[in-house]
Amino acid sequence: MSFPKMTRLLSLRSLTSVHQQLLLPSIPTRLVPSRTLTQNEYRRPGKPRENLPPWLKIKFDLSKGLEGIKKHFALLKKELTDPWVGPEGRPLIEHMLEQNRVVWEFRGPESLEQWTLSSDREIGGQSEIHLKLGRNNNTCFLYGTLCSAPPKDGETRYSGYCTVRSKQPLASFDRKKHHDWSSFNSLHLRIRGDGRPWMINIAAETYFSHQKDDIYNYFLYTRGGPYWQDVKIPFSKFFLTHRGRIQDDQHPLWLDKINTIGFTLGDNADGPFQLEIDFIGVCKDFAHTEEFAYEKYKRNPEV
Amino acid sequence: MNPYILSVLLMGLGLGTTVTFASSHWLLAWMGLEMNTLAILPLMAQHHHPRAVEAATKYFLIQSAAAATILFAGVTNAWLSGQWEIQQISHPIPTTLMIIALFLKIGLTPLHAWLPEVIQGLDLTTGLILSTWQKLAPFALLVQVLPDMPTLLVGLGSLSVAIGGWGGLNQTQLRKVLAYSSIAHLGWMVIVLQYSTLLTVLALTMYITMTTSVFLIFKLLKSTNMNTLASSWSKAPVLTAFTPLILLSLGGLPPLSGFMPKWLIIQELTKQELGLVATLTALMALLSLFFYLRICYSLSLTSSPNNLLGLLPWRMNTKQVTLLMTTSMSLSMLLLPVSPAIFSLVSAL
Repeated sequence: MSFPKMTRLLSLRSLTSVHQQLLLPSIPTRLVPSRTLTQNEYRRPGKPRENLPPWLKIKFDLSKGLEGIKKHFALLKKELTDPWVGPEGRPLIEHMLEQNRVVWEFRGPESLEQWTLSSDREIGGQSEIHLKLGRNNNTCFLYGTLCSAPPKDGETRYSGYCTVRSKQPLASFDRKKHHDWSSFNSLHLRIRGDGRPWMINIAAETYFSHQKDDIYNYFLYTRGGPYWQDVKIPFSKFFLTHRGRIQDDQHPLWLDKINTIGFTLGDNADGPFQLEIDFIGVCKDFAHTEEFAYEKYKRNPEV
Repeated sequence: MNPYILSVLLMGLGLGTTVTFASSHWLLAWMGLEMNTLAILPLMAQHHHPRAVEAATKYFLIQSAAAATILFAGVTNAWLSGQWEIQQISHPIPTTLMIIALFLKIGLTPLHAWLPEVIQGLDLTTGLILSTWQKLAPFALLVQVLPDMPTLLVGLGSLSVAIGGWGGLNQTQLRKVLAYSSIAHLGWMVIVLQYSTLLTVLALTMYITMTTSVFLIFKLLKSTNMNTLASSWSKAPVLTAFTPLILLSLGGLPPLSGFMPKWLIIQELTKQELGLVATLTALMALLSLFFYLRICYSLSLTSSPNNLLGLLPWRMNTKQVTLLMTTSMSLSMLLLPVSPAIFSLVSAL
């Protein structure tokens, strides 16, 4: 297209757009949320999008505010005084010598607040999951019912999952903190299940990689029966998935910025389930020297 | 990585630094810095790991901001004084802006926060390039700019030594320890910049030698945190015996090579009637020495409770090339007696 023609066309287009804006009556535009699609909260399929501005979503309350001030300043004080003792508030000699660390143990009701439950009930399914303390307040008891009937919303084709996930550790003023497990190489669980296969999901920090659905998974096969099961899974066995799909480009899990750990049941077997967890810890197995269990295929192999 | 691409990137790294070294025009110097940044980014992100991508992203943003500020300062100086020459930067505002931008480039306090996180996300080889090679070009510019701001340089240098020492105290990750060590050493280099550029160059050279040996040692031992160092005796017993000497050299203890730059810098500061600054800086260097000693403690002075089954790794032949590591280790330990020769060599350059 020649230059004079383009300029004529451009000027015509700009005139028409100006005409539309000034002379035509203004049509109220649909309120579009200002955040992008990836940053919005989860929208249940079949439900219309919520278009509330942010200030209408927060509930303001003076007592909640005062509690928050107390809590966050206490956390801040702890953050400032901990380095005087050592990394993470423990002396360095402990870090150097430790080979086992119990990260979650369920010894009271406050331990359950560190966990979040979820099931396909959020998308209209019929599975249920509950969490309570086990006998003698010594363990956590996860139980519920799995139902793989998909919700009748016209969008979802598959369903049937229940999951429990630890909450992201937070520093003062709700800043993200991470678990640093780099001194260890295995996950150690003491569980008692009902024979169902679970999936362990570990989520690392993904803020800078823009892949917030990247999760590292491995299987947890429970034996069932009255005896406790000690499960030690090396972190080198965890494989990378994105939104549940195993990725071709695999890499090992880096342990210095772990956000959450979770357990998911989605074995397509409808019915009740139970899982009792005594503790979740990490350990260093010196005999395990494997860095990563999976070989990557070459994308451009030499022929 | 494909060897052709790797060689292109390494050549780009080398070319970028050489261009900056050889330039007398601000635009050419800026181009060299940008070439350096762009050449190292694929090396940082080559493993496609989220942490590597995070480190590369952070590095890119910081270095681009610093490079843009350098360009802005150079252009402002050209506008105000008509001079594009690096050594002719005279107006105080562009000079200050330039100094701050170069400090951001190298990771000097108070613009150091990016360095530990970036080095933590890299493998040891790329971390080595970042800690050593990437400091050369900005220092070449700093040495040429040579502002008349002793208070700023001495103040920020001392602060850097302090923060490098304090920050490294609570780390268990070796790469972060080396990052804070870098910050502290950069502080020493900048403190004496106003009074003797030769000592800055000498300190930089010694720092590069010692850091190269430490990074390569950790790479051979495959250790990235203090806990892993505890089993180094089974991988390389002789190295486990010599590494504390290298770390003490980094800490500046005589009769090792690392004492040389610190001694000469303290001497120069005393001659410039900054005895108090010299004393405080030397005291703050003790903080760095503490965390080096802690690494020695974990590595060689204790044997942690572990049960190793099977053949010990040191009995098996290793195919790792150790020439650079051994050369830099020898230089890091044995150069103190030849200090007069080195000082006269550096003066002659």
